[in-house]
Amino acid sequence: MKPRFAAVLGALLGLASICAATGAVAAATPQRVKVTGEVIDSWCYLSEIMYAEGTAHHQCAVWCATGGVPVGILGEDGTVYIVLKLGEATANVANPAVLKIQTRKVSVEGDLIARDGMNYLLINQVIADEGVVHMTHADYGVQPFGE
Amino acid sequence: MRAILSIILLLAALAASGAARAADSWGLPNEEKARFDAKVVDMLCELTGDCPADCGAGTRQLGLLMDDGQLILPLKNQVPFAGAADELAGFCGKQVTADGLFATNRGHKIFALQFVREAPEGKWQRANRFLPNWAAANNVDPKSPVAQQWFRNDPRVKALIAEQGKLGLGPEADKKFLGAQ
Repeated sequence: MKPRFAAVLGALLGLASICAATGAVAAATPQRVKVTGEVIDSWCYLSEIMYAEGTAHHQCAVWCATGGVPVGILGEDGTVYIVLKLGEATANVANPAVLKIQTRKVSVEGDLIARDGMNYLLINQVIADEGVVHMTHADYGVQPFGE
Repeated sequence: MRAILSIILLLAALAASGAARAADSWGLPNEEKARFDAKVVDMLCELTGDCPADCGAGTRQLGLLMDDGQLILPLKNQVPFAGAADELAGFCGKQVTADGLFATNRGHKIFALQFVREAPEGKWQRANRFLPNWAAANNVDPKSPVAQQWFRNDPRVKALIAEQGKLGLGPEADKKFLGAQ
């Protein structure tokens, strides 16, 4: 083994040892995306414990987001994104800015990190907000209690 | 509607109970009972490298990182309309045994946390800490009707529903729709 190659290899092995010892985190590679969809409650939608889209589910979505259930965006193609960041704020449990946009149809720009079957979205900015446009209460009432 | 009410009543009853046992079925799609060991991690830290020392002190979603590298974000705890961050906050960076339900639906595998303990032999905790935490933050008895219906009594919820209405269309739309029912 040439001395220079051995030195580089040694440095890499040393770095790996330091990372292992300190528990340093290797961040996943994000992909810049633009997503348009409805802000939803991830649990109610994915578990189908009740009908969980649009105006029929707005109150429940506010309850769940306030209770710390991860908020999602249901993309126009049916993909579900879990929102882990909105703007500069790194709080993603009952973030007041996220509570306010439940049920709204939004277009956002941010970083997508796909891992273990879930799509995690770190939103840089909301680039469009069409408001609450998915009218479902006439068909489904107010979920889940009817009032 | 009866099924939804049954599950919510079951969650409320379980939240009031302190006993720990194996996961209860909730009748979820493709439901699987599961018990596994994992490290409690801050999701943003794990995914981006932004790592506050205390996992964000309750402000961040927490995940379960298994030994094989699989990362699970629990979506639910045992309290009606509440997530799992409060249940895991005390275990930041620690190895735990998680007990709950996986469900596979709409192309995603999700997890509801029902019990947790520090691995390997810590005391089991029912995943209902959200409720006493909420009660303490709002100066009410955790066993009171106000706390049991926390979702109707939370000041943030009240303010938002007063502004946006139950349908998200404003108070007038609520009056028109609910008044007609």
